[in-house]
Amino acid sequence: MTRKTRGKRFTMIDEMEPAPKGTEYDFYFGPAHPGPGNFGVKLKIDGERVVSARADPGYLHRGFEKLMEYRTPIQNAVLSDRLCVLEPLNWNLVHAEAVDELMSIDVPERAKYIRVIMAELSRIQSHIIWYGVFSKATGFDTGFKMAFGYRDYILDLFELITGGRVYPAGYICPGGVRRDFPNGARDKILKVLDKMDEMIKLEELENPALDARAKGVGILKVKDAVRLGATGPVLRGSGMKTDVRKDEPYEIYDRLDFEVPVRKEGDAYARYMIGIEEMKQSIKIVKQALEELPEGEVIASKFKKPKVSVKMPEGDVYVRNEVARGEGAVYMVSDGNGEPYRTKIRGPDFLHMIPVLEYLLKGTQIADVPAIYWSLNICPADMDR
Amino acid sequence: MKLGILPKLLQNLFSKPMTVRFPYESIPIPDGYRGEHAYDMDKCISCGLCAKICPNRAIEMVEAPEDLKDTYPKTYPKLDLGKCCFCGLCEDICSKDAIRLTKNVFLSTFDHSNVIKYPTPKAEEQVNG
Repeated sequence: MTRKTRGKRFTMIDEMEPAPKGTEYDFYFGPAHPGPGNFGVKLKIDGERVVSARADPGYLHRGFEKLMEYRTPIQNAVLSDRLCVLEPLNWNLVHAEAVDELMSIDVPERAKYIRVIMAELSRIQSHIIWYGVFSKATGFDTGFKMAFGYRDYILDLFELITGGRVYPAGYICPGGVRRDFPNGARDKILKVLDKMDEMIKLEELENPALDARAKGVGILKVKDAVRLGATGPVLRGSGMKTDVRKDEPYEIYDRLDFEVPVRKEGDAYARYMIGIEEMKQSIKIVKQALEELPEGEVIASKFKKPKVSVKMPEGDVYVRNEVARGEGAVYMVSDGNGEPYRTKIRGPDFLHMIPVLEYLLKGTQIADVPAIYWSLNICPADMDR
Repeated sequence: MKLGILPKLLQNLFSKPMTVRFPYESIPIPDGYRGEHAYDMDKCISCGLCAKICPNRAIEMVEAPEDLKDTYPKTYPKLDLGKCCFCGLCEDICSKDAIRLTKNVFLSTFDHSNVIKYPTPKAEEQVNG
């Protein structure tokens, strides 16, 4: 692999002589390290080259699928926050939609709009974290601090609307949402969106260091991306135009006007740019939804007051959504009791962090490992579940 | 040479920091925040719904202390804040508003016995104070 962005004073990895025999060593990237989050990758290194990579999942396993079998839908809504620390509201929505479909509940119109607004705000803050950790991984620490500073504006908003900064505690629950917007929430959201525009401008500033470390690194071709099961920003960064919000619209996405950003390069830089483009689209969606926000109830009468026992009819349902990291889905089977008989959660990161990551890391330089790792928009919590 | 970041640098030199000096000033917490619980024993009808809805099983229905048994003969919620996830379902399900979440977020403690809140009639005053 040759790289155009780097000057000629560097020896390209393909031009280097292979290291003498017996110089291979194991390198543990993670799990207890600020670099990779709570996830480990076992690398076999030869000189500067990664000979092979083996993902080592399980460090953050909490067993959600089993826990959900002992809880009622409203309790599971609270539990579904924890599926992904960085985007709890998106996972709330997937779970709530699965229960709604299983129980055939008519969600009030206002609730649908609020759900979309909150999910998109959650997507924006998740992409900001993505930018932050990607900057940190490529040695741009200011970007990390900037990202977490600007993310706090959205967290303030969540605090006002849901009552919690990071975890909304099942704000998007079966039947609608748990609370209506408080007074002045609309103006505050618009103010925060202006701040997000500011953040996007900062993200778009030229950064030669990031260009050098991200361009041409970790190229994933469309064919390989599909074969390895990539979805969301990773697949769009490789050049396939796909988005569940467009392909199979849920909630009110079919009424909204937004675009799906696609890039053909398939490298870490393309994925990073997809993140920025998606933030712009999310801001557009929130503004549209706020304009059209109707009046009325925010939760179906059946769930107005939480009940200790809710009877779910027998059946099974598969619901998929576009969460910030890709395609998130819930397969729920009910045997007619209050609790689901089985809940299978399909997270996007399981495939991004095991097959895709192993494929991309093989044959790269050791210095590119963090850049590739964080360019996949990963979340160890979502992968281990 | 790319200088796009320079104007921002100059701007940052003369702007306020994003953070606040915490012990001396703090960001106000909005109404509806899910913080520490305030429990009113007099309003409680001992229905036990809060214990049943709690996703983390942090609430257990226990008898009142010996000296209060004459006034409060039923069972009352004992709350383990170490298990609590502050979802607020107990507040939502309570039909008598006996349990509600306050804005108090300063819950860190060196003494593990502070984490468990036994039913006492005075709990409300302590929280508001």
